[in-house]
Amino acid sequence: MPSSAVTRDLADRWPIVAAGVVALCIVSSAGAQHSAANRWWSEGSGHLLPGRVAYPNDYGELGIVNASGNYDTAGNAFFEPIGTNGRACVTCHQPADAMSISTQTIQQRWQETNGHDPLFAAIDGRNCPHLPSGDPQAHSLLLERGLIRVFLPWPPRDAAGKEITPEFTIEVVRDPSGCNTHPKYGLESDEPTVSVYRRPRMVANLKFVTAADFGVTPFSIKDSRPTDRDPETGRLVNMNMMADAREPTLKTQAISAALEHLQTDGPPSEAQLAEIIDFESQIYAAQLRHVGAGDLDEPGGPQALGPQALVDGSTGVLGNNTTRYVFPMGDAWKSLPRTGDADSDTEREFRESVARGHDVFFFRTFWIRDAMHINNIGLGNPIKRTCSTCHGMHMTGMDVANGWVDVGTTNLPWASTVLQDPWSDREPELPLFRLTCSGSHAPHPFLGRTIFTQDPGRALITGKCNDIGAIVMQQFRGMAARAPYFVNGSAKNLRELIDFYDRRFNIRYSEQEKIDLENFLSTL
Amino acid sequence: MNRRTIMTSTLLIAATATAEPPPASQRNFVSCPIVRDTATVPCWLSEYDGELYYLGIQTDVSADFDPPFLGHNVLVEGTISDQERICGGIVLDPVRISPMLDFDSRCNTILPAEDRYTVPFAPRPPGPSGGRLAFQRPPPEPEVIVPPYAAREFELFYDFDMLIMGRHAGTLAQVLDYATKTGARTIEVTASSGATLLSDGTHMAEDISLAPKRANEVARLLQTGGLADRRFEIEAESEQESPDGVDDWRSRRTLIRVAP
Repeated sequence: MPSSAVTRDLADRWPIVAAGVVALCIVSSAGAQHSAANRWWSEGSGHLLPGRVAYPNDYGELGIVNASGNYDTAGNAFFEPIGTNGRACVTCHQPADAMSISTQTIQQRWQETNGHDPLFAAIDGRNCPHLPSGDPQAHSLLLERGLIRVFLPWPPRDAAGKEITPEFTIEVVRDPSGCNTHPKYGLESDEPTVSVYRRPRMVANLKFVTAADFGVTPFSIKDSRPTDRDPETGRLVNMNMMADAREPTLKTQAISAALEHLQTDGPPSEAQLAEIIDFESQIYAAQLRHVGAGDLDEPGGPQALGPQALVDGSTGVLGNNTTRYVFPMGDAWKSLPRTGDADSDTEREFRESVARGHDVFFFRTFWIRDAMHINNIGLGNPIKRTCSTCHGMHMTGMDVANGWVDVGTTNLPWASTVLQDPWSDREPELPLFRLTCSGSHAPHPFLGRTIFTQDPGRALITGKCNDIGAIVMQQFRGMAARAPYFVNGSAKNLRELIDFYDRRFNIRYSEQEKIDLENFLSTL
Repeated sequence: MNRRTIMTSTLLIAATATAEPPPASQRNFVSCPIVRDTATVPCWLSEYDGELYYLGIQTDVSADFDPPFLGHNVLVEGTISDQERICGGIVLDPVRISPMLDFDSRCNTILPAEDRYTVPFAPRPPGPSGGRLAFQRPPPEPEVIVPPYAAREFELFYDFDMLIMGRHAGTLAQVLDYATKTGARTIEVTASSGATLLSDGTHMAEDISLAPKRANEVARLLQTGGLADRRFEIEAESEQESPDGVDDWRSRRTLIRVAP
């Protein structure tokens, strides 16, 4: 645990905001208690979001920095319920949850509102709109996995709205929500639609997420398809924002999200869009304090840690090298002499574990195999590399460009699923699709012509066989505040995330490596 | 004969030898790739006719050599060099490799590192780099393009039986750049399918229908990539060049001519 001196120093630099001044934003000192109600940012509350504010989580505290300073949210379209269902952008992008939303928060909100919060809107907060209101089973994917329904037209359309002829057919193998086989919402409806279920992504640190100053070329190095462009400026975009890269800019994303998730009657006004983008472009989030490692933002500490590091960080940097690093940690926590003070030495021990965890992330090699859009882009299958090979963007751990990869989070055989048997009443929660690639195209080099998936990912946008299950990587920041992980919420905690990779790539981490890696990830 | 038939017959080494074999310096064959781990990066090998051949090492996307895929056979088209063996294999240099489309579960060999096999020349380690790509090329001299503009040709070469791949992105960008800067009105796209002569005399041919697919795909990519308002003349070669076992990979090609 951090020493009291560390806590005092932190509180000086991250002043406590009185609840009466900013009702929903709480800065803690160690041990402070916060009611669930105080964590929730309601739509249209009109409060001030302080320039620096901290929110407690199980690992310590998340820090939010508004680069513009104290942010007046009153009337800002990000915070206002501009649609017809009472939601605002902030509903699913809560400051306390690193601008995503955790299942812990979702479940608390269910209990506090008896399921009547706009978060649980029928359109996508329910497993399918036709299911009964107020029944937690009808919202199980949101409550248990933090998943929002994403409904996409099938076949896909190009940017001009023209139908794309897919390279594969799609069949519903199982449909626990009933949505994909529903006569109104499903694949056989008048407007054929595929429903998949995905985690809301972090709306913070977006200067990194949208940076197009490295590796963004007119044709993607992954498959030579044309890179998307900003429809207004014609500039190339990095296509790293959404799980399936379907929206090129913050503006187009805001429009589609407003129409679909907020159920606005039409696109937001230009002024509203400008407000949303202004807010999104200046907010940063990262873990600030850690119950084990103490102050992550202290002078002389690791350069990568704390939200201010993101404010100050450079974009467009490939960090998979020993000159810039993905997460520059330096040597400050490598080897810390013991002081004889039990608390201090415990913290020092933990910090050394974090430093080792970084090295597991950055230097520990393993065979990366059968990962579409990694192994087939000129690197070979397999390659002996490290986590940072794919998670190479300086400060975030995303890809620097075109970051969609299939590591098996949604495609069988690797995706987490329930093996049905007569001795268990556990049932699969997610839909399962069978995609059959046409004989007139080359088969998927690692999965063949018939692929089972819970979410076809990028392929729902491109219609390409090779894109089945390819999901854009997410940033690694604020992870302590926003479990569960992966696009389909299949890793309930950081350990499950690590275990997934351990199984998927047969890494055979030692127990100590897993502990160190979890400790490292929880400080980001 | 369709493509699948050709593939299958080739892999079973059951096809009739139809031509004189390639020169003795050539090694053209289809076989499983083999990964040999080392203390640094792995090297890629393949065995043919009782001999082990070295294909290349793992580096990064800047390399000319794209390693093959375990789980698939690989078509090797190479020239025996006089270099010392690397990783136990006779060095093929230059060498082109093409992963075959069909799965083959037998192609699953990862050999452990042994002290006697090293690749001290590896330009980057298996993990993070030292801050540069393995094969950092000097940036091209800035080109001043002034009228009158000349027609310029660009070539794309393919893996056997394959269409466009990520490695073609740079050439497509050059086409886009030149066509944009010169205001070219016409883009001519001419594609061919190819054949290769294996060392055992087998004539291994792509499906002839690949030629129009390649031409149409390249034209479509350039159109959607920013040249939609240009005139495209698309042609597919209806016949394949007769392979002689030397540089046969050059027959799997699309030629793009940008005509201002």
